[in-house]
Amino acid sequence: MIPTQKSDSERLITPTMLVLFLVLATVPLWIARVGLYPYLGIEILIWSLYALAFNLVLGTAGLPSFGHGAYFGIGAYAFGLCQFNIVANLWICLAAAFVIAGLAGALVALFISHRRGIYYAFMTIAFGQIFWTLAIKSHKVTGGEDGLLKIARLPADLGFASFDLAGNVAFYYFVLIVFALAVIALWRLVHSPYGRVIAAIKQSETRAAHLGYNVWLYKASIFTLSAAVSGFAGGLFAMAQLAAFPDVMSLHQSGYVVMMTLVGGGLVSFWGPVVGVFLFLIARDVIGALTNAWMLYFGLLFMAVVLFRPEGVAGAITAAWQNRSLHSMRQQGGSALRLLFGGERWR
Amino acid sequence: MFDLLPHILNGLTLGLLFALIALGFMLIVGLMEQINLAHGSLFALGAYFAMQLMGPRPPFPPDLAHAWLAMPLGWRYVATLILAPAAVGVVGIAIEFCMRRTYGKDPLYGLLLTFGAAMVIEETIRLTWGTRDYVLQVPQGVSGGFLFGDLIWSTYRFYAAGIAVAIIGLVWLLIEKTSFGATVKAGAHDSEIVRALGINLTRLRLLVFVFGTMLAAIAGIIVAPIWGIRPHMGVDAVIPAFLVIVLGGVGSFWGAVVAGLLVGLAVGLTGAYASEWSLLSMYVLLVAVVTVRARGLWGKKSVLEA
Repeated sequence: MIPTQKSDSERLITPTMLVLFLVLATVPLWIARVGLYPYLGIEILIWSLYALAFNLVLGTAGLPSFGHGAYFGIGAYAFGLCQFNIVANLWICLAAAFVIAGLAGALVALFISHRRGIYYAFMTIAFGQIFWTLAIKSHKVTGGEDGLLKIARLPADLGFASFDLAGNVAFYYFVLIVFALAVIALWRLVHSPYGRVIAAIKQSETRAAHLGYNVWLYKASIFTLSAAVSGFAGGLFAMAQLAAFPDVMSLHQSGYVVMMTLVGGGLVSFWGPVVGVFLFLIARDVIGALTNAWMLYFGLLFMAVVLFRPEGVAGAITAAWQNRSLHSMRQQGGSALRLLFGGERWR
Repeated sequence: MFDLLPHILNGLTLGLLFALIALGFMLIVGLMEQINLAHGSLFALGAYFAMQLMGPRPPFPPDLAHAWLAMPLGWRYVATLILAPAAVGVVGIAIEFCMRRTYGKDPLYGLLLTFGAAMVIEETIRLTWGTRDYVLQVPQGVSGGFLFGDLIWSTYRFYAAGIAVAIIGLVWLLIEKTSFGATVKAGAHDSEIVRALGINLTRLRLLVFVFGTMLAAIAGIIVAPIWGIRPHMGVDAVIPAFLVIVLGGVGSFWGAVVAGLLVGLAVGLTGAYASEWSLLSMYVLLVAVVTVRARGLWGKKSVLEA
């Protein structure tokens, strides 16, 4: 036992992160050989970032948000519109995606942060639908259902050197670097004093309020931050797709990110959302190649996870890794789920 | 003012349909404190079953099919109104058997489970019937239109609104005026005591759930001739149903009915002036109400909020 040894939650970069980043860095070398394609790698990274941002609200703060696709989509549109109308600079446009989605999130947070449970959940759905309808109906701004087309992958200009990101492999590495930085930032955020207060509010709003924390402000700020990071991921997604479409804002797609996060085990593990995105997107491609009814099988899988494995895949892996009993992990998953809809009073 | 009258009437009939769609959802939320997100898919399934039964190829053995097709359209329609919900009820039994494992835990389990079930049902619909639109035949007595004032009114809309009123009334009688309703409500309130009184709560909950799914199917059959039958209709129904319940407040019967009418009026009136934005109005209405009132219009305290 070395007394000075740091626990993972105090580190800037954990061993898990290093291994993950290194493995991800080799992906373009072999992904084509296993029958997949580099674009899938990009999609997985972007959705992972989005799911991690979403899990700030669902897993960390225990707030049921079912309309998160709106912020992802707003980020994508903001990126495209900034590129067309303001300035075609990668950094400014990504910042615009972050800021505009954050502003939308802050606006929504004003209306919902004093609500809880089912009323909170449905307010997020309502706002998600409002933004989605706006995106579809504002033909002049967003291109309506056709989407905003011809978005370019702008070159990454670092001042001393400029990288062309038009190719999938170059863009993959760009997204990987951004993803790595964002993961480190989110890891620190979750384990910061601020993150601890958020976790305390998830346990009990009343208790946190009695300790003198401004619960409303914490709930509003984490939602805003989550929306902003989701929007940032959306900006990357617009670059990946070379377009921004309204369908990522639909209720269905917002539901997918909830499913990914829960199947992966976002309620008990920081890495849950990433695991879920991997499973979901690879299942989509592999099962989707065999049968066009892949949603049927994924739906059945999801039902089975909810019934038998509320701790999710990451929970099961963590349990095996740390030699903790699966049972305690499952209880942790169960109690995290329970807290989401405030089952404290449920016998 | 008289220009407005048709739109108000239109909105009210639409509102009654929204209330009808929300009815099964409300029953399960109010009596079991469970959110059934598969409600919309069951609604769609009811419409598809009815379409299959009313169509040229009913799902019967050849002899029976022949006899069935020889029956007048009106009789077949009435029989379909019973058979299709019964078939959907069987699907409801299957869902309830899964959902059973989540009772006593957080309602979110049920919500997520039924979200998965909704995906499975919708995908099954796509596989069975494809993605094309279908039309549900209705008897001549209720189709067509009539002239009143200077306007042509659709007979079917008024027929559908009438059915909605009748079913809402019946369900109210069932849960407020019968011992069945009293027992079920007591079961939601305190399951231990109800069990201790020797009541088979497991069976009672199954009944409530199946009843809720059958109401979804009936709503699907009634609404199908107006909205058309397509795989997406489930999602188009479950969101307004959920919205009506949240707007009316969890656990309030008349809250849901009034919320349904309000949503119908809002959609109908915005539809008259800015049809592009008609669906948006219900969300704006919800946000406006729930921002100010913690439990919708007349919601009661429930486990669905922390």
